[in-house]
Amino acid sequence: MSWHLTHDQLHRYAAHTADDVTAMSAEAHLTHCAHCRSLLPADEDWLDRSWADLRDVVDQPRRGAVERLLSAIGLRENTAKLLAATPQLYRAWLGATVLVLTMALAVAHEVPRGSLLFSITAPVVPLIGVALAYGRGVDPAHSLTSVTPLAGYRLLFLRTAAVLVPALVLCTTAALLMPSVSTLSEAVFWLLPALAMVAGCLALSRWMALSLAGGGVGAAWLLALVLLGATDGLDPLLLFTPTAQASWATALALLAGVVLLRVRAA
Amino acid sequence: MLLSAVAAGETEALEILHRRHAPWLRARLRYRCSDNDQLDAALQETFLAVWRNAGSFTPRPGDSDAGAWLWTIAIRQLISQLRKRANRWIAESEPEPYETIGDASAEDTVLLNIEHGPLGAALHELSPELRSAIQATVLDGLTVREAAEILQIPEGTVKTRVMRAKARLREALTT
Repeated sequence: MSWHLTHDQLHRYAAHTADDVTAMSAEAHLTHCAHCRSLLPADEDWLDRSWADLRDVVDQPRRGAVERLLSAIGLRENTAKLLAATPQLYRAWLGATVLVLTMALAVAHEVPRGSLLFSITAPVVPLIGVALAYGRGVDPAHSLTSVTPLAGYRLLFLRTAAVLVPALVLCTTAALLMPSVSTLSEAVFWLLPALAMVAGCLALSRWMALSLAGGGVGAAWLLALVLLGATDGLDPLLLFTPTAQASWATALALLAGVVLLRVRAA
Repeated sequence: MLLSAVAAGETEALEILHRRHAPWLRARLRYRCSDNDQLDAALQETFLAVWRNAGSFTPRPGDSDAGAWLWTIAIRQLISQLRKRANRWIAESEPEPYETIGDASAEDTVLLNIEHGPLGAALHELSPELRSAIQATVLDGLTVREAAEILQIPEGTVKTRVMRAKARLREALTT
């Protein structure tokens, strides 16, 4: 382009003091002339601020597949992000769970009465996960999250849910691969004890740290197993008989009630 | 080219584009809207739209770079900002696709070359109302409806003003 705006015209245009016709002329030219655009005086402070604002929006990390799936099924955006981020906190637990369940399965297939090991482990797997999902010692950002409006029961339950779902899926899958199991109803014999123990852990967390509560409940479970195994005429598998299942269900209902009451009161 | 880098998701490219184009777009928008907040919001939306749609840019014949394309986005974002402010209780209508004037008529082509020739003097003679109508429809490439929104006058008025303005200009340029 041979014709260009003068320095004076550019400055008057940028300062918003050009008259209508000069402004129209400048605009018609600027649309197509990179040279004059680069000479147009710019407010550097404003430019930096504007870019900073823009970068804040543009530079956001892309959302992962899990997060998009969770928002697709109707969860709010921040809840979806929270749930998707939780597994980062207990990745080690997830890995350990897969390992333990695989080994329990291998034992069940190779050793007579080996399925006992699975019966003992499966109910505590969700419990350990929940115990490690929330609290001062396990969450590196706990002191930060605990002062946010989200903290407290809402966060505790969201984290619990984020742990329970993969734990239950893993345990059910493993149970279906057991040699002695043929139907789905046989595969979930561990479910009620597991849920009752998780509810017990949540109820106890009122008085102690969640990890401590989880440890206590887990210890009680092991103690019960040892006692049943050591006593003549009794068997650890008694914990999974239909009568025992009914007691687990009652315990689950009671403990869930306790937890809900506690939330109401809070 | 810069826009293909933006389309590929490179923030550095967007930063260069922003640095290069935000100042003149802002200066030009300021002649159409005196509210700095709305103006900055419109610019922000403009570059976000560019960030998302950079791949859809196809240069028209005669375009030396993306300047004209960016302007059509910016002015429409400004209109949608003004619309939001005015009708906050009315549901947002679908944003119109970014299309420019289409095939400019010979008359419009003459008008777009204000910087050359005797047109400047002729424009000086126009009343401000007629001038702003010409500016919105020809220079900014807006549709009659969009021009009516930004000038806050009925569509029919825009049409008659543009017709009268063009007649005056024709007269001034031929005599």
